[in-house]
Amino acid sequence: MVSPPPALGGVPLPWAEADGDLPRRFSSRDALETELRRRFPEASGGLSPIRGGRLAAEQRLAAVQPARYGRSRNFLDGAVTRLSPYIRHGVLSLAEVRDVVFQTLRAGGGREAGEKLINELGWRDFWQRLWRRLGDAIWDDQEPLKTGHSPASYAAELPAAIATAGTGLACIDAFAGELVQTGWLHNHARMWLAAYVVHWRRVRWQAGARWFLQHLLDGDPASNNLSWQWVASSFSHKPYVFNRANLERYSGGRLCHGCDAAASGSCPFDASYEALQQQLFASATAEPVRSSWNGRPRRRTNPASARHP
Amino acid sequence: MHQPVLWIHGEALGPANPALQAHPGRPAVFVFDEALIRQQAISLKRLAFLYECLLELPVAIRQGDVAEQVLAFAREHRADGVITSAAVDPRFETIRSAIARDLPVEVQEPKPFVPLPFEGQGAPDLRRFSRYWRQAEPLVWQSY
Repeated sequence: MVSPPPALGGVPLPWAEADGDLPRRFSSRDALETELRRRFPEASGGLSPIRGGRLAAEQRLAAVQPARYGRSRNFLDGAVTRLSPYIRHGVLSLAEVRDVVFQTLRAGGGREAGEKLINELGWRDFWQRLWRRLGDAIWDDQEPLKTGHSPASYAAELPAAIATAGTGLACIDAFAGELVQTGWLHNHARMWLAAYVVHWRRVRWQAGARWFLQHLLDGDPASNNLSWQWVASSFSHKPYVFNRANLERYSGGRLCHGCDAAASGSCPFDASYEALQQQLFASATAEPVRSSWNGRPRRRTNPASARHP
Repeated sequence: MHQPVLWIHGEALGPANPALQAHPGRPAVFVFDEALIRQQAISLKRLAFLYECLLELPVAIRQGDVAEQVLAFAREHRADGVITSAAVDPRFETIRSAIARDLPVEVQEPKPFVPLPFEGQGAPDLRRFSRYWRQAEPLVWQSY
């Protein structure tokens, strides 16, 4: 029987190790952290609870539930796969994940149950192809902003209160804290956080994108920058925003409980999309906002028919 | 190449790495790119995540200037070339060409998610995801 290597033992090398090699054996995860601190003194923070490696990746892959993913992925507690850090670093290839998902679907559920998940793998491939084509131009606006504001009116740097989870907004501070502590965020939380940075604080998307790349275990300029551009509206037809009702729905309301801003009536997200549009964008030129983050246009409620939904 | 070494980079830290697949047992090296880590202020948890991935691969781990370290590793193993896998990050090409000034570099393509070329005739329309997916989706599902 083949047993997995000890958690931090390292597989043996079939050639002699050299003086210049970094160690491949650690007594514990703490020992790895100590070694990394010594070798990379400028790198901030501690370890993530999320472990690297093929074994961890295979465990996650075996736990993927395509149908539940399709139904619940927009919710913070939904059945998301958390495969992104492993896919980003090629621990799992997109082709491998696709094949395992197909096997799962053949065993039960069928094609329809997996269409959303395969579509999301497609997004990853799409971003990678764009990066390959754009190169470092992935840091430039792909199109003019549709917010009605000039690019010069956006701040170049991320406000310190955001980076240190000190805005006083429970949702935003929770997302910032999770990003810095764990290096992973649910995609919906990424979109909310990005919209807050770009539209409410009027900060250039590049500042937010750089901050995410410092921390995200799955960070690469492809998915990251182009998603920031999608929120900002330099890679979409309209800016993305959200409101409190949307956040409460997909977070189960838990973030708003105990939020001082929510209690005191100063929550900046507690408004209709029409009001946010007026407040955040120069209305003469701006397109209507986008409030669905997965590419589908939001169905607008006609006031006349709202009584008969 | 009769006696190559393998250069493993951060886009291919798994068994699907085509260089590892084609040359099992050959000396392989990963280099933590110090300039990049400093420039982008990469946090420790990202480095640790990579490190844990590397411990499960047959690969020597180094830090410093990537091209210099790969070439030093190649000299230690009296290699006549370097084999690696294709990467999307534009920094890869800079490093590859720096290595190629001293030793031949062979770049292998990993298995694609969808059999569509990256450029030229038949490459998908990337202006919006919907256009790309209209071309890609039927091809992806072909193997279902």
